[in-house]
Amino acid sequence: MLQNYIPVLIFLGIATAIGLLLMGLGFLFGRGQKDSEKLSPYECGFEPFEDSRMKFDVRYYLVAILFIIFDLEIAFLFPWAVSLDVIGGFGLAAMGIFLAVLVVGFIYEWKKGALEWD
Amino acid sequence: MTALIPDFVMLPWMAFWEGLPPLMQLLFSKTTLIVFVTVCIILTVAFTTYFERKVIGYMQGRIGPNRVGPLGLGQPFADVIKLLIKEIVVPQKSNRFLFIIAPLLSIVPALATWAVIPLNPTTVIADINAGLLYVLALTSVGVYGVILAGWATNSKYAFLGAMRSAAQIVAYEIAMGFALVGVLMAGGSLNLGDITRAQAGGVSHWFILPLLPLFLVYFISGVAETNRAPFDVAEGESEIVAGFHVEYSGVAFAVFFLAEYANMVLISALTSIFFLGGWASPFEGWTFLGAESLLREPSFFWLAVKIAFFIFVFFWLRATFPRYRYDQIMRLGWKVFIPITIVWIAVEGVMAWLRIGPWSGMAG
Amino acid sequence: MFHAILFYSFAAILVVAALGVIFARNPVHAVMFLVLAFFQSAVLWLLAEAEFLAIVLVLVYVGAVMVLFLFVVMMLDVEVEEIRGGYTRYAPLGIVIAGLMVVELAQVIWLRGKEGFAVDGFRPTPEGYSNTEALGSVLYTEHVYAFEIAAVILLLAIVAAISLTMRRRPGLKQQDIASQVAVRAQDRVRIVKMASEKPE
Repeated sequence: MLQNYIPVLIFLGIATAIGLLLMGLGFLFGRGQKDSEKLSPYECGFEPFEDSRMKFDVRYYLVAILFIIFDLEIAFLFPWAVSLDVIGGFGLAAMGIFLAVLVVGFIYEWKKGALEWD
Repeated sequence: MTALIPDFVMLPWMAFWEGLPPLMQLLFSKTTLIVFVTVCIILTVAFTTYFERKVIGYMQGRIGPNRVGPLGLGQPFADVIKLLIKEIVVPQKSNRFLFIIAPLLSIVPALATWAVIPLNPTTVIADINAGLLYVLALTSVGVYGVILAGWATNSKYAFLGAMRSAAQIVAYEIAMGFALVGVLMAGGSLNLGDITRAQAGGVSHWFILPLLPLFLVYFISGVAETNRAPFDVAEGESEIVAGFHVEYSGVAFAVFFLAEYANMVLISALTSIFFLGGWASPFEGWTFLGAESLLREPSFFWLAVKIAFFIFVFFWLRATFPRYRYDQIMRLGWKVFIPITIVWIAVEGVMAWLRIGPWSGMAG
Repeated sequence: MFHAILFYSFAAILVVAALGVIFARNPVHAVMFLVLAFFQSAVLWLLAEAEFLAIVLVLVYVGAVMVLFLFVVMMLDVEVEEIRGGYTRYAPLGIVIAGLMVVELAQVIWLRGKEGFAVDGFRPTPEGYSNTEALGSVLYTEHVYAFEIAAVILLLAIVAAISLTMRRRPGLKQQDIASQVAVRAQDRVRIVKMASEKPE
């Protein structure tokens, strides 16, 4: 099994190498004069007057947390879908209950308005 | 091929090759294949940009690029040279290390996912059992490039673009994951080659028919994942200039660009494999084409045709639809696609239990 | 041999990345080191032939959990100096927990060693063996109880996350698509028939 994963490692290495090579070429050929105006972050015509890393809406956290939960759900679904022919009706029922519980959660989210963006 | 190489080169080479340990042989052959595939992807991306400008040009009653070389075919190379000699500006207040690493983090997953794509019935770089999981894992890593670029730049536009794009990618990834579970139930394996083989036997066996809702959800989610129009609020030039890569220039920008287009080609390839039978020929079983017609044979040609078609659809969407509003994008992802996929998984489960359809191999 | 080289090199990177998480000054760098650490542990699991777990580790931890961490770290807008101050304050507690973990690990290794486990290492799986299928065939039958408990825990997480972070801003106007679609022309436009008037 491990032998099948060696090409994946090589591919990851080669992809990184290509990225580094491109960036290296860019820094090699792309010479230019730097001045403070050029190096200041772009903001519609005026000097940036505060740090741009600001606090943002808590909604993004909520989306990230919900994403983790649903991602886990998907991770549970994968082995189930593959072994469907082995586990039969019992496995189907088990997953039915699992999904039903989570659909309850999904409906709760929906009704609470956690999926609204305004 | 062998006849082209004279014996005095070939024979010592063969002797050398036989003398290598099997592990080294594997490493050599795989590395060659990987480099070849990567170069092909990059060339495809180059001509995809040309194709995009031509397609959108004609859709808008223009001609598109036509100055560099015959029919403007030299345009991609002119672009590459231009981007190479442009200066890379690293803004003063940015985090230099993360600023430079971010494009790499988006290009690596876009390329490395090709490791598990079956190119034709016999060729796949890494024939792993958990291929589909690997695809999902690597696409979920792609979001780092966007978030880090937005944060490292230390510009408001970049930051806003990154946050938008991260929340959007995350929402559509769930819909994509659920759609893939449906494919998995039909295909019965995590190996992409096995999924393709499960669709052998003509157009009627392709998963697009039984899984039509999932096909639509998967492809549209793919468009949203790659931040392409009409879901391109992350770089909506009318609101936040260019979003997360506003301060990227020269090759640093080109790498993001390469990653975006490579992801488009990838999504097209994955959609073809999951729903349109990958390398399978649409004329399979058509006898009137002649007994030995090559058109009926499964081959890379058919995969390439399907990929080209989906890339065309990407551009078609871009030329047709106005940009979605952000709350509409999130609503589509969470409130439309996720319920559709969950319902379809339930339908498939029941159908599998009742032994209806292509997934009827279930034991009582 | 090849296996051992892979194991030790990836384990070394894992240790370096873990140290980086602790010693990086910039919190975003620390998160990226943690991402690297997860990747390396995924490779180590892969070396132990735990294919499904390894990829799910990347999918769930790198693809989802660390994205949340990045969100948190990015917008907390943490001052580096403040963290330095907290560092010495929490150091004793940290050392106690680390010590406990070392003791537990030693115990596990010692117990395992006594029972003769893990002496001959992992046996390579036969060709065509799918880790995921093997997992699936027991998870939904033998361990169905634990599996359903997982569903309840996830439900709990949904409810907790929403009740902790949901804030409704007053005075918001929202688009109601259903009512937009349900609109009829006669609700909006009134056509009045009237005789034409002649200006005098």
